[in-house]
Amino acid sequence: MPGPSLPILYHGEPTGPSLIALAALFESGLQLETRSIDLLAGERYAIPDVSEPLALDHSVEGEGPVLLIEGEAITDAVFLAQYFDEQAGGAGLQPSDPYVHWQMTMWCRQTSERLAPASACLGTFTHAQDRLAAMEAAEFERIAAQIESADLRERWRDLRENRVDSAQFADSKSKVAQFCERVEDQLADGRTWLFGGFSIADLVTFAWLRPLAETEAASFAAKEGLSAWLARTEARPSVRAALDQARTDDPLQAFAPGPEINRWG
Amino acid sequence: MADVTLYHWEPNANSGKPMLALMEKGVPFDSRYTNMLEFDQHKPEYLAVNPQGTIPAMIHGERVLTESTAIMEYVDQAFDGPALMPEDARDRWRIRWWMKFMDQWLGPSFSMLGWSAFVGPMVRDRPREELEALIARIPLPERRRAWRKAMFGEFSEEELGESRRRVALGIDLLEEELGKRPYVGSDSYSLGDINIFNSTYSLPVSHPDLASKDKTPNIMRWLKRVYHRPAVQQTWTMGRGDLAKRYRLVIEEID
Ligand SMILES: N[C@@H](CCC(=O)N[C@@H](CS)C(=O)NCC(=O)O)C(=O)O
Repeated sequence: MPGPSLPILYHGEPTGPSLIALAALFESGLQLETRSIDLLAGERYAIPDVSEPLALDHSVEGEGPVLLIEGEAITDAVFLAQYFDEQAGGAGLQPSDPYVHWQMTMWCRQTSERLAPASACLGTFTHAQDRLAAMEAAEFERIAAQIESADLRERWRDLRENRVDSAQFADSKSKVAQFCERVEDQLADGRTWLFGGFSIADLVTFAWLRPLAETEAASFAAKEGLSAWLARTEARPSVRAALDQARTDDPLQAFAPGPEINRWG
Repeated sequence: MADVTLYHWEPNANSGKPMLALMEKGVPFDSRYTNMLEFDQHKPEYLAVNPQGTIPAMIHGERVLTESTAIMEYVDQAFDGPALMPEDARDRWRIRWWMKFMDQWLGPSFSMLGWSAFVGPMVRDRPREELEALIARIPLPERRRAWRKAMFGEFSEEELGESRRRVALGIDLLEEELGKRPYVGSDSYSLGDINIFNSTYSLPVSHPDLASKDKTPNIMRWLKRVYHRPAVQQTWTMGRGDLAKRYRLVIEEID
């Protein structure tokens, strides 16, 4: 009889949520098997031995990493990062002071709610649209049929059919610009990381902002604090190790459909 | 004067989360009832506390905290009293996942339907100029749009339909979850239960077609278990509406 299966982290190319999860794993020092999957080929829906798929099927994050533990799919990069940190007995990725922890949580929440959808919208239409548009109809429908979440499936379709909402596009650009400002302001007192020590907030913000540094260059220009912080984060061994998992030449641009743009307030 | 001041509306949805968390922890607080239907949350006094103009907000000493779920996490970490998060990392993950699912996917759909059916009609019969003036002082542009739709009945059939789809699906998923464990995401009462309870306790009344003894027995048993907690009873006495009374009748019917 085989023993209980060991946890496996399935991840896409190291950008956005997959970059967050991989780098957090390496920060934590936990030894887990990692497996690279091609998100745009629908491989997230072909992960074997998933007996509790709820969080895979209905993750608010969209096409993010999946940690499989005893058949249960564990998703959402920020919470995966917290899980790794806590499972390792406290790897220092979360501030210990409750108030600073609250500040970090708020920052991550705003990043997930505002920056991530904006970044995913800009990134997918710029870098993933061609590939989905070129896909054979039968292949696309095969993947679409496996996507349990109807709203996520709709985002795949919008992307394939290049249904760009120009108001959302403009709004996404301004959200990216706002986050560049926010990071610059947050670092204005000369601190090294956003909240004292290096934390999940640094990882999350880097993972969603850095891929846009070239296409949204104007928003990043003349921000010394931001540039230095981006370089510092990119140089962290955990981030380097995560980027080393890449299978494509430009992993930061390997976007897949992400979280939806807020439909309420 | 207590060390904690909480600005809240009725003990439901977002306001109910920190109220209940403080009550469970046994942390005394000064209550500042902020009436959403009188638009207290957009008055200068409140905007000085929370410039976003949303309820709730909490002041602890010098610190101002906003965002209901994040406030609960702070309350759990900063004060003594019973732990409201389990020790196990995977249980903690599951609870966080459910809270996000509610806060960012299911909850907004509840809000849209609630604003369309109840909140809008309750504030609508003021003169048009007064409504416009109320909208003009709302700080968040997305909230300005939402209030306009609620006040003038402008939610589209399409968006209401999508919200109804999400509510029906969300209830099914919760029913399934509560068949696996006695509480949301774990075997013990936690912030996850407080979060989800505050947005679902009214379901048997608001959506009897979707949530009932026959359709969702797991949800109903869980609602009853949570409802009977002393902290819930105590918190509900802080409401001004007849919410508590109305739901008591429903809960009493659950075996
Ligand atoms: N994400 C915020 C949302 C707060 C929120 O939207 N509160 C509602 C009441 S439940 C509100 O203030 N509505 C009135 C308004 O937006 O003007 C939280 O969880 O605290």
